[in-house]
Amino acid sequence: MAALSLFTSWAACAADPKVRDLADLSLEQLSNIEVTSVSRRAERLQDAAASIFVITADDIRRSGVSSLPEALRLAPNLQVARVSANSYAISARGFNNAIGNKLLVLIDGRTVYTPLFSGVFWDSQDVMLEDVERIEVISGPGATLWGANAVNGVINVITRPAGETQGTLLAAGGGNQTKGGAARYGGEMSSGGHYRVYGQYFDRANTEHANGTSVFDDWNSGRIGFRADWGGTARGFTMQGDAYRGELDQALPGTQRISGVNLLARWNRQLAENSSVRVQAYYDRTERTQPGAFAEHLDIFDLEFQHALRPAASHHLLWGGGYRYAFDRVDNSAALAFLPADRNLRWANVFVQDEIALAPNLDLTLGVKAESNVYTGVEWLPNARLAWKAAANHLLWGSVSRAARAPSRLDRDLFSPAKPPFLLAGGPNFQSEVSKVFELGYRSQPMSAVSYSITAFHHIYDRLRSLEPAPGGGLVIDNKIDGTGNGVEAWGSYQATQAWRLSAGLLELRQRLALRSDSLSTQGVAAEGNDPKHQWMLRSSLNLGRAYELDMTVRHVSALPSPLVPAYTAFDARLGWRVSRDLELSLTGQNLFGPAHIEFGNPATASLVERSVFLKALWRM
Amino acid sequence: MINLKSAPLRRWRQLASAWLALIAIAAVFPAAAQSDGDAAVLERRVKATFLYKFLSYVEWPENALPKPNTPFTIAVIGDDALAAELAEFAGGRATEGRSVVVRKVNDPGEAASAHILFVARGENPRLSQLVKATQSKPVLIVTESDGALASGSMINFVVSGGRVRFEISVDAADRRQLKLSSRLLTVALNVRVGTP
Repeated sequence: MAALSLFTSWAACAADPKVRDLADLSLEQLSNIEVTSVSRRAERLQDAAASIFVITADDIRRSGVSSLPEALRLAPNLQVARVSANSYAISARGFNNAIGNKLLVLIDGRTVYTPLFSGVFWDSQDVMLEDVERIEVISGPGATLWGANAVNGVINVITRPAGETQGTLLAAGGGNQTKGGAARYGGEMSSGGHYRVYGQYFDRANTEHANGTSVFDDWNSGRIGFRADWGGTARGFTMQGDAYRGELDQALPGTQRISGVNLLARWNRQLAENSSVRVQAYYDRTERTQPGAFAEHLDIFDLEFQHALRPAASHHLLWGGGYRYAFDRVDNSAALAFLPADRNLRWANVFVQDEIALAPNLDLTLGVKAESNVYTGVEWLPNARLAWKAAANHLLWGSVSRAARAPSRLDRDLFSPAKPPFLLAGGPNFQSEVSKVFELGYRSQPMSAVSYSITAFHHIYDRLRSLEPAPGGGLVIDNKIDGTGNGVEAWGSYQATQAWRLSAGLLELRQRLALRSDSLSTQGVAAEGNDPKHQWMLRSSLNLGRAYELDMTVRHVSALPSPLVPAYTAFDARLGWRVSRDLELSLTGQNLFGPAHIEFGNPATASLVERSVFLKALWRM
Repeated sequence: MINLKSAPLRRWRQLASAWLALIAIAAVFPAAAQSDGDAAVLERRVKATFLYKFLSYVEWPENALPKPNTPFTIAVIGDDALAAELAEFAGGRATEGRSVVVRKVNDPGEAASAHILFVARGENPRLSQLVKATQSKPVLIVTESDGALASGSMINFVVSGGRVRFEISVDAADRRQLKLSSRLLTVALNVRVGTP
């Protein structure tokens, strides 16, 4: 764990640095080594009482992936399945679904889930991967800090500050499925701050059905953006924004179009030695036109505030609040309608969390968030975590939390067809889905070359979304499924030699969902998600001399039950060649051996994931 | 709707029993020989490296280094792991033409003969006592506790923005006839001048 995650901003050292490695650095370099993961409060990763996996910039580069969802495959605590060329099902701890709704995703502090279905449109969310500093993947609830929707996991995509992306970077690549390029320029402002601007474009080819016909899902997307940073942790200001546009093919009746723009400002200030505040505001607009289904124009304004302080030596207190306002405008079609078509949504929250040092090696964290939404009023989201540092590199932790997935427009306002009689109607009384979670984890680095993490979890779900027969015929959305999810997440890494690292990940999941006794549903529980019982991966990262890198990954996902998707094992590899200080070439192959497989959906209509190769050149000037 | 209130009491009993189970597990788990507070491995190593580097950026008065071969002594109180790692590195190595000796100390008296005294977070309550015990001696006291400069420390490590940085009290160093190089002051997160 530690070896995987510590060296996020310090690429110079491949292995675990000892004092003798560090002694060669200058005073300035030493004070630039990142030793913590800056979560809401800067927290040493090894001390975090949660199941956190960090995907580093180096992991992303060495995997050769060219999209954010593919990069997320690097996290052993996530389930990532490719649905089609432009769609992914991504989840943690079950409920995987192309419209999954229990995972919260943030890009540089901006929540990117849509209130339309409380999930993420993965075709709209992207970053320039070369500028990503790390991706923190927290499986399990994070509701107290992150709010409703952080039920089964939180993904934090964190890009580098502009000061760390100076100069010119050009990337271009092509292969049998994807062609694309990206450019970035970073510079310094006369006011002392730094900035970068970037642009990227890609084009992804159609996938095919098992019978060889095209899925008609090819797509392209272009994106531009900027980030500017002034100051540092004591007093800093950040502004960033992106704009994108994309065209997604679909079988009929025409091309889907997506576009969006966002602008974020963040201000932080150290008030005193033990007190700091952060204020963040952003605007996010997304547009989506899906002929034959619906069109949506969504404007979100979000403001949040937090204050960290130490009222006493043994207390780290964090409190804050936030307000979010969304204008959702939907153009309905005959087949599908959100009623009312236009809805304004509001969320407000306050939270407080105290990390109490009970003893030098025992930390108790207690926190609660109250969050309101327009559908169900206030949700209480408490959590308690205990971390016991048994020895220098051994941490045993446990947690108890309550998380809620607040209703989305899909739960309350969706109707099909647009006029009665409805075959499907939103549930006027649909309540929040609730999860109570118990976790126990152990993280250790028994020797400098070996680190691992094991987490066992038990989720109790109440009031999950079900489809009940409506009195006048058709189906109505309700909350009549309960259940449990139990499982284990484990990963570790072994630095076998200076040049060779092995890592492994394992996921075991047993989910039991059942209709409540008062349910009259004939639909069962299959719509909740389609999850494997096991998933594992092995990675080998090998440096061949100074100029070559060879990375290999084997991933296995067991069968999905309903609809039945057979188990598959995929083998990916990347060969990288550092031609000179400025130029890097790489050849990446995915699904190199074995037949094409499907990862999600009904096997008859799903997309086959076939062998792909991608040649990429990267210049840094 | 306030779900907390409507949740059956049974659920809270479940939470409570889970906590009891956790605490029970924690209690029987074999306690390790020692704890190093909450310093993470890399953080500790970066701090250890800084301590070694400080030898090159601080000028001690002549009486502290009477002979050309008088070794530098770094005393560490309260962090045996740091002392061990630093000793493993510095043992037999020379800097500024002198060898470096790393000593784990406990007694304030032992600290008075050191060139650098590192007081780990867990020993911060004894800081004033240690400052007093070494009062007239040219000992560079380095700490890692909030507010330690006010208690007589000269260099205090702080983790800021995820990085190990340090703050400096120039006056405290002056009082011990220690000259801090301008490079050191430049790298410091902040420099305190004026009597605390």
